[in-house]
Amino acid sequence: METKSRTLEITVLSAEDLRIDNKPVKKNAYVVVSVDPFNNKATKVDGEGGSYPSWNDKLVMEMPLQTRFVTLLVKCKGSRGEKTVGLARIPVMDFVGGYSPATCLQFLSYRLRDPKGLKNGIINVSLRVKEPLQDCSSQAAAAGGGNAATIGLGIPIDGRRDYGMVTGIPIWTGYPSNSLF
Amino acid sequence: MGNCCSDVGGGMTAIGGTAPSTSTSNQNDAADWYFKSHGIHGIFSQIELSFSATNLRDRDVFSKSDPMVVVYIQERDGAFTEVFRTEVVLNSLNPTWITKYTITYQFEIVQILLFRVFDVDTQFHNVEVKMLKLEEQQSLGEASCALSEIVSKPNRSLTLDLVQREESVPSTHSQHRGKFTVHAEECFSSKTTAEMTLKCLNLESKDLFSKSDPFLVISKVVESGMSIPVCKTEVSKNDLNPTWKPLFLNIQQVGSKDSPLVIECFNFNSNGKHDLIGKVQKSLADLEKLHSGREGENLFLPTPVGHDNQNKALRSKLFVEKYSETVQYTFLDYLAAGFELNFMVAIDFTASNGNPRLPDSLHYIDPSGRLNAYQKAIYEVGEVLQFYDADKRFPAWGFGARPIDGPVSHCFNLNGSSNYCEVEGIRGIMMAYTSALFNVSLAGPTLFGHVINRAAMIASQSLANDAKKYFVLLIITDGVITDLQETKDALVKASDLPLSILIVGVGGADFKEMEILDADKGERLESSTGRVASRDIVQFVPFRDVQSKSSTHSDISEMFRIWDYITIDFHFADGPSVVQELLAELPSQFLAYMRSREIKPCS
Repeated sequence: METKSRTLEITVLSAEDLRIDNKPVKKNAYVVVSVDPFNNKATKVDGEGGSYPSWNDKLVMEMPLQTRFVTLLVKCKGSRGEKTVGLARIPVMDFVGGYSPATCLQFLSYRLRDPKGLKNGIINVSLRVKEPLQDCSSQAAAAGGGNAATIGLGIPIDGRRDYGMVTGIPIWTGYPSNSLF
Repeated sequence: MGNCCSDVGGGMTAIGGTAPSTSTSNQNDAADWYFKSHGIHGIFSQIELSFSATNLRDRDVFSKSDPMVVVYIQERDGAFTEVFRTEVVLNSLNPTWITKYTITYQFEIVQILLFRVFDVDTQFHNVEVKMLKLEEQQSLGEASCALSEIVSKPNRSLTLDLVQREESVPSTHSQHRGKFTVHAEECFSSKTTAEMTLKCLNLESKDLFSKSDPFLVISKVVESGMSIPVCKTEVSKNDLNPTWKPLFLNIQQVGSKDSPLVIECFNFNSNGKHDLIGKVQKSLADLEKLHSGREGENLFLPTPVGHDNQNKALRSKLFVEKYSETVQYTFLDYLAAGFELNFMVAIDFTASNGNPRLPDSLHYIDPSGRLNAYQKAIYEVGEVLQFYDADKRFPAWGFGARPIDGPVSHCFNLNGSSNYCEVEGIRGIMMAYTSALFNVSLAGPTLFGHVINRAAMIASQSLANDAKKYFVLLIITDGVITDLQETKDALVKASDLPLSILIVGVGGADFKEMEILDADKGERLESSTGRVASRDIVQFVPFRDVQSKSSTHSDISEMFRIWDYITIDFHFADGPSVVQELLAELPSQFLAYMRSREIKPCS
């Protein structure tokens, strides 16, 4: 009944103000998207964008249900090898159980931090979760005013568009419905 | 003294066809500039109004009425000015007039129109319509409405009852004066943009020691035979088989899909003198055929031989790798498809406003009827937005006060109910506001987070129901927010929703800190968890209440003397107010949201 993973479609759009050793990145930046240490994919290299690269690269990955973060690692191919420019971690709860339904195309942006932990630019992505059998949305539960009155297992009917929403049992039962995050 | 050397890099960039046209205005730069320099911002489509009527009264003795429509626009001071007359339709009580009135649709103001139907007396028929004296004609009735009422209807037609003005004695039996219908059509040149990827094979080498650095220039051919460049690609260095980046051309830029275009391939030289490698002459329709047939077209070089200009065919070929057309929908297209703008309002009830019963309070309700700053702001924004909301039920909240028995609430329903937050119409907001004023005690501090989260929840539920709604939250406040980070967190979380937030600051506080929230004036908002706002959804403007509305010279100098503010906002009789400038940005934000998610208006 439960699926082991969901499909995540993530399009890495662009990044802003990337620097290495406080100097703007010249070229050849790319991004490695990972769901867990063994499961990662990389975008193409942007040869021209410099410190404001744009990729518009769509990656499709399987995301196990218990995943908590999707990690974006921005790297740069230089003449002396590869350097890590910055890292951002997207909490899965930001796009599942947030304001937008997970199956809806969402645009998210995150602060990148370099290996020393200092701010180093911003990364922009768009993503969507494809056709989960069990759509978990604590937002839907919270929509009922916090009382779990309408909880049921919902299975999308064949032929429905991706925007179809069903009320499901939230997996993270500890998710407070009125928190700010 | 200028630069010694030119910026070669700059000369190599693509011009003209680089991105799909995201402008929300007419594709006419000169008109854009004219409007902007006259203070008209945002979108301004041209609308064509056509008129018809049914069951008009019969005024003539021996034949039916000969009706004509006169159109009036309401000016800022409330008076109506005549702007247009249709032709006279002979002998008809159910006329459809042919001549149409073109008006510029401005989202941010309420454009009130008045239509008067006259029966033209027989003896004036050979006179031009303009010359007819209206006092000498017989009125068949009049009707009035706002332009936004017409365009927000699904079929863009509005039918009104004709009434007779100056009816001193209300009649007991119904006066059938007939019905009047106005229909609106948007005038647009073209909404279609063609995207194509061009490449060439086997180009000739024009440089001595290296290959060519080719780029393309696409020109349109005008009636006189001249060719006018429309766009150029970037330079592809050292490549005889280049593929350039995608080009976007709006059909209107080139005339029509069948207009002849000249595509020339040049070799780039840093001294500015580029050699022509070859050219082709194709229309967009031809290029589409090349793409579908996967064929190439040979370039040719015009070589003067004797008296004729013969064309030397080259081995080089032009290919169209990709060709696709997309339609750029306008704001009015979305309205016609049933999309709505839903208005929500949140009012600051903190103690810094002053005791509402005292005349110097920002919340003072003047018995003479003069609106206070809060009422003015609600009215200015609400009266424009109400037409775009189908059910006219607006969520209204207050924050920073203590309801009768309870702790301070940072988001309470203005109507006093504990179940639902909506009120009916702008009037409902005003009534709920005045009654709330005397049912709560002003407290503090000033926090926006709760109100923003409530609005975000509403937008989120609408999104889950796939509703075609875009939400506009108006927050009116007199002070600076206490917890900036909590507000930023709420805004970042809500930035991906179909929501725009307008913050209006009233009173004399220093709102410098609030400007941080408006990304136009600063950086993108960042939450405490490292997430960054994906869109700029906040606009902030200080709404300084000026005592008098007049703009005479002596009054202005008086104001400068009395107040020592550095910036003063005037509400001139003939210019847009600051709130209107805020509103003018809304359709662009709406369109940017819809287009980025590829949500199309399909009815």
